[in-house]
Amino acid sequence: MTGFVATNAASSGVKIDKKQLKAIARRSDRPGIVYLVQWGLSLGATATLVWLALDTWWLWPAMFLHGVFLTVPSYSFSHETAHGTAFRTRWLNEVVFWLTSLLYMEEPLRRRYTHTNHHTYTWHTNKDSQMPFDTPMDFKGWLIEVSGLALLRFHASHLPKLACGRYSDVVRSVTPESELAKMTRNARIFLAVYGAIAGLIIADVTWPLWFLVLPRLLGGPVMMLFTLIQHVEMQEDSPSILESTRSFKTTWLGRFLYMNMNNHVEHHLYPQVPFYGLEALGEAVADQLPDPDPGVIRTNVEVLSVVIRRSLGMSTKAATIRQAPHMITEGGFERVAQRSVR
Amino acid sequence: MSEWVRVCAADDIDDEDLIRFDHDDRTYAVYRTEKGYFATDGLCTHEDQHLEEGLVTGMVIECPLHGGRFDIPSGKALSAPVCLDLKTYAVRLEGDQLYIEL
Repeated sequence: MTGFVATNAASSGVKIDKKQLKAIARRSDRPGIVYLVQWGLSLGATATLVWLALDTWWLWPAMFLHGVFLTVPSYSFSHETAHGTAFRTRWLNEVVFWLTSLLYMEEPLRRRYTHTNHHTYTWHTNKDSQMPFDTPMDFKGWLIEVSGLALLRFHASHLPKLACGRYSDVVRSVTPESELAKMTRNARIFLAVYGAIAGLIIADVTWPLWFLVLPRLLGGPVMMLFTLIQHVEMQEDSPSILESTRSFKTTWLGRFLYMNMNNHVEHHLYPQVPFYGLEALGEAVADQLPDPDPGVIRTNVEVLSVVIRRSLGMSTKAATIRQAPHMITEGGFERVAQRSVR
Repeated sequence: MSEWVRVCAADDIDDEDLIRFDHDDRTYAVYRTEKGYFATDGLCTHEDQHLEEGLVTGMVIECPLHGGRFDIPSGKALSAPVCLDLKTYAVRLEGDQLYIEL
């Protein structure tokens, strides 16, 4: 660590009574199991729509809807279980972590270790291994990111590399030596599962295509719209989570799909708080935090407007979302950080 | 040569909780659990984060930064991202005062 202070509540000057924090962070299996059941029922409903729409043009909108419910919670649940906070029972946490990482398409240990690094060095250039795009973002960067192409390329490349025992500098820098062989084993298992699915489709068994593969691809951009606004336009290299990270308002559906990670500032301040405690945490420290930005759609529209204007050399001042001071220019910009997810 | 060093009054630590204890340029974590009092090194073996804000659940301490878990009595690392064990120290209760053997 060489004297670096991890980015969290302490580095951000945010405080909460320890007993209150303990009560909020207290673990339980119930909320995670309830979420798992609700997610399963949602997937059952959307999969039924896909089934009813087979052989009609309604298949594509049905697969998109199914894909949103498949993809966004798989990201959210994989993230929550990577923290080990979804369930009190550890094995349950790890089983869900594996299954959702399989849907999200990232080897679980790589996901866990790069994410611990993301919390230690949140939005720090050349240190944070989960900066998913160049900053400041321009329109080209937005297209690559939101289309899911950059993430898809990463997903397609990291598993074969890990399976062959080739570890990137990023992986080596964040992972204990003793865990590397496990990564290789896991990557081989993941590739075998994906290979089996591909084999079924090649053998003319088409249900994985309609219920799994295409919905996963169609839901990807919606997932990216949630994850994009966690840190875009915020301050790089700041010890304060309040400057590097954004919370945003959303509807009950958005909170469900994203497992309350719209309270993203709160999550980075106290990563030990489970998804079901984030709203209470937000209320407890509300007077120390900036107001959350507007909803997912409004925030994304503003981000899109900013990146288009940045690419056209126009003013990049947003109307309602928070921006770091250097993100606001009257034309032209200097690159600060390069994508570190590779 | 080890010595017994006073930490605090036993009641200064809440049930199922811990406190930070600094002594001679080193830092420790002293726990009150359902099975008694225990002490370990204060810093997580993963990234030097102090455990004082961590969550005690039963006989397990969880690091507040990345969620690495240790068995409190043995210091054994239980789950990623921690791989190295915590060093443990003997704790003695004398009257209502806690002592740690350093």
